[in-house]
Amino acid sequence: MLLSRKGFKLLCDGRDLLLAANDESVSIKNIACELHTSPFHFIRQFEAVFGLTPHQFRVRHRLDRAKLLLARGQHSVTEVCMEVGFCSLGSFSSLFARRFGQPPSVYQRRARAMVQVPGTFAPALFPGCLSLMASLPAEAFRNFREARPAEAD
Amino acid sequence: MRIKLTSIMVADQDRALKFYTNVLGFRKKMEFPMGEYRWLTVVSPEEPDAVELSIEPNANPAGKTFQEAMFSQGIPVAAFEVSDMGKEYERLKGQGVVFTREPTRAGPVTIAVFSDTCGNLIQIYQRH
Repeated sequence: MLLSRKGFKLLCDGRDLLLAANDESVSIKNIACELHTSPFHFIRQFEAVFGLTPHQFRVRHRLDRAKLLLARGQHSVTEVCMEVGFCSLGSFSSLFARRFGQPPSVYQRRARAMVQVPGTFAPALFPGCLSLMASLPAEAFRNFREARPAEAD
Repeated sequence: MRIKLTSIMVADQDRALKFYTNVLGFRKKMEFPMGEYRWLTVVSPEEPDAVELSIEPNANPAGKTFQEAMFSQGIPVAAFEVSDMGKEYERLKGQGVVFTREPTRAGPVTIAVFSDTCGNLIQIYQRH
């Protein structure tokens, strides 16, 4: 599919609206309406470009934000749940656990133990850079060099 | 000093690995678990010993802000060379890839831009 300049801008605007909407009552339909496009068209194109439906994208963004707030350690799980726009603590906890492999309360305890300066987060929790390389096992590169001749057989 | 590694930030390493291998056709080279994330690299099957592309998590909020801004401005964050632009363009479109710029002649190259479904725009180019 080739997106027009206008179509591309519309999807970027849609993404920004989804990122900004902190309120579960703002539906995908409302957002499509605000963008003057049909929900069906918006959902289909959004998924093709961003790899997730608008709903999935928004949930993921909320969970990421929740994780960051929990890592800063200044708010309770309930406060974080409300702050990022979930109405139910139960569904927030289960979505969080499904995404990050542990419920928010467990994550928060772990994160708090790592934070040295209150209000900041431990860099180890949010690497996102080539610094990950520093924690590679010693044999990382060697193994691959040795593996190559075997692959060629 | 040599250039052997470069990186791209992605919203989701699993999804990115699928896109970069199944859709683009790269091959996984390294994969090591690191806490919640992985050290994950891919290479081109045409040049498996050339530059490795590290698929990094954009967990850091600063990374996410950068990625979103570059995307909105239509700026690609990486460029890959292709031998036959027409063929690649049709092949990728056939796989459901969304282009924001169709193949366009620009001086010494023909370029095209698509979304990698992980928050980035990628340019492909063919030299003349």
